[in-house]
Amino acid sequence: MKKAVVYLNQFFGQIGGEDVADHAPEIREEKVGAAMLYNQLLDAEVTHTVICGDNFMGSRTEEAVETILDFLKDVDFDIFFAGPAFQAGRYGMACGEIGKAVKEEFDVPVISSMNIENPGVEVFKKDIYIFPGGHSAAKMRDDVKKITDFGNKILNGEKLLPAEKEGYYKRGIRHQYFLEDETPAYERAIDMLLKKINGEEFESELPIPELDLVEIAPAIEDLSKTTIALVTSGGIVPVDNPDKIQSASATRWGKYDISAMDKLDNREDLAFKTIHAGYDPAAADADPNVVVPVDAMRKYEKEGRIGKLHDYFYSTVGTGTTQKEAARMGKEIAQELQDANVQAVILTST
Amino acid sequence: MKLELGNFYVKDIEFGAKTAFNDGILTINKEEALEVVFKDNHITEADLRIVKPGDMVRLVPVKEAIEPRFRVGGGPVFPGVTGKLMQAGEGETRCLKDMSVLVVGKHWGGFQDGLIDMGGEGAKYTHFSSLKNVVLVADTDEEFEQREQQKKNHALRWAGMRLAEYLGEAVKDLEPEDKDTYELEPLTKRSKELDELPSVAIVMQPQSQMEEKGYNDLNYGWDTNRMLPTFMHPNEILDGAMISGSFMPCSSKWATYDFQNFPLIRRLYQEHGKTINFVGVIMSNLNVALEQKERSAQFVAQMAKSLGVDAAIVTEEGYGNPDADYIGCLVALEDAGVKTVGVSNEATGRDGGSQPLVTLDPKADALVSTGNVSELIELPPMDEVIGELEALARDGLSGGWEDDEVLGSSVKEDGSIIMENNAMFCGDRIAGWSPKTMKEF
Repeated sequence: MKKAVVYLNQFFGQIGGEDVADHAPEIREEKVGAAMLYNQLLDAEVTHTVICGDNFMGSRTEEAVETILDFLKDVDFDIFFAGPAFQAGRYGMACGEIGKAVKEEFDVPVISSMNIENPGVEVFKKDIYIFPGGHSAAKMRDDVKKITDFGNKILNGEKLLPAEKEGYYKRGIRHQYFLEDETPAYERAIDMLLKKINGEEFESELPIPELDLVEIAPAIEDLSKTTIALVTSGGIVPVDNPDKIQSASATRWGKYDISAMDKLDNREDLAFKTIHAGYDPAAADADPNVVVPVDAMRKYEKEGRIGKLHDYFYSTVGTGTTQKEAARMGKEIAQELQDANVQAVILTST
Repeated sequence: MKLELGNFYVKDIEFGAKTAFNDGILTINKEEALEVVFKDNHITEADLRIVKPGDMVRLVPVKEAIEPRFRVGGGPVFPGVTGKLMQAGEGETRCLKDMSVLVVGKHWGGFQDGLIDMGGEGAKYTHFSSLKNVVLVADTDEEFEQREQQKKNHALRWAGMRLAEYLGEAVKDLEPEDKDTYELEPLTKRSKELDELPSVAIVMQPQSQMEEKGYNDLNYGWDTNRMLPTFMHPNEILDGAMISGSFMPCSSKWATYDFQNFPLIRRLYQEHGKTINFVGVIMSNLNVALEQKERSAQFVAQMAKSLGVDAAIVTEEGYGNPDADYIGCLVALEDAGVKTVGVSNEATGRDGGSQPLVTLDPKADALVSTGNVSELIELPPMDEVIGELEALARDGLSGGWEDDEVLGSSVKEDGSIIMENNAMFCGDRIAGWSPKTMKEF
């Protein structure tokens, strides 16, 4: 019989609630909590349950992933399930993180379920199969049924249909597909053309992602009266990374007070460093001002070329971050800047 | 302009004493047919074979496909190419249907050549496995290009056209089983009823990427790289004005057979007078330099506006660099107020994760997709190979390779193959036959 492993958080793994969200990863050679439901519905035996607190996975991601991969390296399994995570954001991100890592390390199918509102969907749908799920645990049975049905198809070697038929979130992975009714392209083209001519609805076979272009703002006429803020996607944070911004696929940002600083001190001084995983950190760790140029801005401020450097700089990580998450964070930061009467931003990328 | 295509449905093909068409059977005097092939001194070896749907035969490297025809009243089937320049698209041309002449290299293949499986699992990937085919398998003394990845294949392609004309003569004195009549009234002399229907054109972008002559599609013998977009009557395309070139990765190719039968054109004709007023063809091209692309798109949009075109189908013979022409032309037409539908293939990579076209634009909001050029295809060995199987791996076919760290060679010792769809002969059937689309997985 084929073998499956299920990943659950502290709550569904029956450790406890929010108070034990820091629970360190563990693996049990048994079916815990929701794993029993999986076992009932699967054409495979659930041999192990992996349990990890959502906060542990969220704040010590690398450690959590390494630990779990280490647990699994001697386990023989054919398929991996994570969740369902419903609308729980941290749980969704955790399922995505561990799912992606397991897929890459062991090359087994990885399936999860999340509500459309769960940020894990946008971040990880390209990496693992994620099925739309309910808002809360009331939908546990339905959601597990959906993903185990699909898992059974894979386990039994059945032909997999396109995402729209199987039901998982589209991943941006496009393959050629012989139409069941073999309708030739010339029929499809004429049909689409007539619908377009007649103003009827039609469906393009290659939907073009909508471009969200922002108009370039008019130039600032007098910089000497302008308050300017520094915002970066280069991952410069205080050395203890107080906001736990992720090193890749970030969903969080931070704001850091620089009102009393003439420049950013470096990692050696236990001041600022970069947590960005997408570029060589050596230069930014040695001098964070190369990414967030507080030193240069202070000089301009003294020379009167700019009115004022805003008291805080804002930071997140740009690598792997989805457009949707980046737009949300951008809007949140922009709102703060507007509220603080900042008139201009220097956005530094890496 | 009125064209009658007289149909002779070929039920079977055999070799015999006299080349003749009788009761659905095409009989070929092989010796006489080969004499036609050898009229060009550059042909050094040649043989003819007959293959039919379901035969467990693999053809590679396939260079061209042509429908055998006879022009009633005299003249070449391909004006300006196989004979004198004359008007195509008028009068009567007789066609041997359900068959083609396939041209296969006996040894040497190249970037532009493809593969056809007549039977088994691989048959579904090309239109030509559904036809009865006379296969010209030959070699030439064109040593200058034997080891070149890009081949003009001149001697072989022209031999194929001569052979198609020779076979077409079998029906010169016979009455066709039925006729397809294609007629469009002159644009300014159309009835009020027609004028009230939406005016529709088809914009064709044939392959013209090579600066050097000898590789590109020809328009009445004229290199399409050297032309500006021009207005053509659809009958001209269906009647031999255009011949295929020898350049593009093969699944994106329009064979000469495809031009002769162009399904999108035939389908637009069916709608003419019912739902649309079929204006005709704007023949563009796919030159590589940006200014050439922009110039062509500008000409196409201007012509469409001047002709009063309300809607258009745009289709490209290629992918990659030509996607810029394809999207550019769709956008130029939309900007001119012409409603467009595009027909082409995609290049999403073996893993399906790459951007489908080189350029994208939200104005291209109605696209028909006919396949993924880089889809991996694995096929078992066949009973027989016509041509040389090793060519798929050795000669730089666009979908084949000699060695790959993970996949090994395209050609395995037991005769099984692994290749990209790129090397499937006219595999994406962009002329309109494709039963494939693209889906998210």
